Amino acid sequence: MNCAECRDNLVACAEGWLNREEEQQCRAHWEACAACRTEFEAITRLQQRLIARGQTAAEARLVEAVMRRVRQEPFQPKKETIMSKLLKHRWGFGLSAAAGASAAILLTILLTTPKAQAKAVEVMTKGAQAVAKLTCIHLRGQLRTLPADNFSYINADSPFYTIELWKQFEPDLKWRIEKPERVIVMDGQSTVMLIKAGNNTGVKLPQRTTSAFDTEWLHRIANLSNTLSNELDNARTKGWPLNLAEETGADGRLKSVVTIQTKSGMPDNDYCKNTFMENADTRRVYRFDAQSQLLESVKIYLNRPSGEVQIFDLNQIDYNQPINPGVWKLELPADVSWAQLPEQLPILPDNEKYASMTAQQAARAFFEACSREDWNEAGKFMSPINDQLKEYLGGVEIVSLGEPFSSQNYPGQMVPYEIKLRAQEFNMRVANTNAAKRFVIMGVYDRKLRLQQDLKWSGEPEVLTNNDAYARLTPQEAVQAYMDAQSKFNWVEMRKFASEYDVKETKGQVAMAEKQGIDVHKMMPAFQVGEATWSAEQSAWFVKCRTISTQAKKWNIAVRKDNPAGRWQVDGGI
Amino acid sequence: MNLTDKEYVERCRDGHPEDFGLLVDRYQKPLFAYLAARVGNFPQTEEAAQESFVRAFLSLKLLRKPESFYAWLLGIAGRVAKEQFRSTVHHERDCEAAQFMIADTAADGGEEPPLEESIAALPETYRQVILLRYYEGLSCQEVAIRLAVPLGTVTKTLSRAYARLRQELAARERAGQTINTHQP
Repeated sequence: MNCAECRDNLVACAEGWLNREEEQQCRAHWEACAACRTEFEAITRLQQRLIARGQTAAEARLVEAVMRRVRQEPFQPKKETIMSKLLKHRWGFGLSAAAGASAAILLTILLTTPKAQAKAVEVMTKGAQAVAKLTCIHLRGQLRTLPADNFSYINADSPFYTIELWKQFEPDLKWRIEKPERVIVMDGQSTVMLIKAGNNTGVKLPQRTTSAFDTEWLHRIANLSNTLSNELDNARTKGWPLNLAEETGADGRLKSVVTIQTKSGMPDNDYCKNTFMENADTRRVYRFDAQSQLLESVKIYLNRPSGEVQIFDLNQIDYNQPINPGVWKLELPADVSWAQLPEQLPILPDNEKYASMTAQQAARAFFEACSREDWNEAGKFMSPINDQLKEYLGGVEIVSLGEPFSSQNYPGQMVPYEIKLRAQEFNMRVANTNAAKRFVIMGVYDRKLRLQQDLKWSGEPEVLTNNDAYARLTPQEAVQAYMDAQSKFNWVEMRKFASEYDVKETKGQVAMAEKQGIDVHKMMPAFQVGEATWSAEQSAWFVKCRTISTQAKKWNIAVRKDNPAGRWQVDGGI
Repeated sequence: MNLTDKEYVERCRDGHPEDFGLLVDRYQKPLFAYLAARVGNFPQTEEAAQESFVRAFLSLKLLRKPESFYAWLLGIAGRVAKEQFRSTVHHERDCEAAQFMIADTAADGGEEPPLEESIAALPETYRQVILLRYYEGLSCQEVAIRLAVPLGTVTKTLSRAYARLRQELAARERAGQTINTHQP
């Protein structure tokens, strides 16, 4: 081996990659060559130094701590995507005006002196420190919202629905947020949202995210040190009052309760005020166990001109409890239709025609395309247009379109509209394979027998005192009885045929419509019950139904054009 | 996904601030080692390292050469270490003493030029292999898997990286300089 060959092999020798023979050749060479030996010694010295430096830093784990701080910083104005708003209202009443009765909930006496405020700051700081080594967290709470609506959508008149978050900070970031009909999973690679109402709609962001689709408010709670220091900053910079109370909890232990009053800064008459977490005036109550300093619960109350109502109750916080890896997997149904991301919106050959429209013209063009069932044209204004939407809007008739108006925090416009929907045909799946032996409704299907909504039963239907009378009803009679009960808002009777979940949801929607000044008796279309068909495959009867009259709808369609193609896109209010 | 520093910086600037976490992941250990020699105990080093990253994030739009992110980060860290040192010493001694002590501890091995600054001067492919092998403690086989390249490429790159690193160290020793705190 000559010097050149030997030097080529010095690093390999120091790293132990050479086979025995090569190594012996190397060693034999530098026993005779002082220069190469010196080289080898220099390399091993550097190697030792590198190893030692690496060992110094072996315990360094900075990613989460840095990112917690980074997320607090206003890096750049958060861009709302069309998608984030698009999926907000399509399947709900959405954008509702807040009004109605309230349930005032009072806390213990709040201290308002600067000293008490300083103490509150201390409690929150300690709370943040108590969870500084958070590797994962699970939150479970109840939110007044709609099951399929946007994650930050709130409605004081809606029932409470469960909302849950799982988040893993270490070794790599993953999270899942779920409410009854909407779920997001960030599995460390990409972020996928599935909306389960009616036809399944999916949205995929091809990257890992720290937050997406209007879930920021919930992440802020999960990133505890961030949340608490955020609130402290809010108190300092925005002058939001921060107070501390002490009380004895149900477990007999002393609790520190920090309360902060938040202001959205939106005028009371703004259309979007109090409809999303970020647009709401709220009182947020954080309760800490005084001894462990851990946060135990968060309650959020909405401050409306008519009074205060609780909208969020976070009563389960699991710190560093192992999370089942299955949580990071999202089972996607076969029929999911994928929504286009706004940044992917294509520029059409005749894009200018669309880009130059006013909001009202765009709303008209969209409804007209739906009216003639020109889904290619309608698709230029909305993505995806799935079968459920085609069924719903096909043949629609425009009665009137009003003057567009805007909202302070919304980048698009709202166009008031009144439409008539054509009579619709659908199927109800009924079965009596239950302990009560009577026909109950299991699901709603479109006219082509495609599943629209599975009606979930949490348990067996109750055996009624006069169960026999109900057990004698045919599938058609059971559906008719359900329809009659629904049209009369007879919740007790409805419960005999439909799950508690369905009744609760219908009840909530009717209450909301009433609050919005809608004549609910006119809102419900009349139905006609047709023939029943047995499906051996599903072991159930399918009962054909159709609306007798056309259904009128008066609402506001939200449209926005802040996308690369500059075209108005329907964002909600359908 | 294994992007270059430049690509990550550009993604952060283009509205993906969460990608900054990947840069932190890449450089947390060399930065920590660099600061450990300047700052002292673990909590202080950790604090200084966090502060350096956060400052880098906030100034990311000012970084003119995104490919020099790491060298630039070390520059920021050097300033953070000095500030931290001054504030620690301030209560006990006057500023002159603080300056003296900073100068005294600035080089990681006392007589030898600081390793992390020399690593910062390496081409990115060399730097990644050195960092993964010694700061992340991966075997060459593991480095090959991480970078999705053949094992032979890793060993060749490591040999070249050694040669280049020694040149850098020698140049720094000759120049007697301990800084690389330019603003790219």
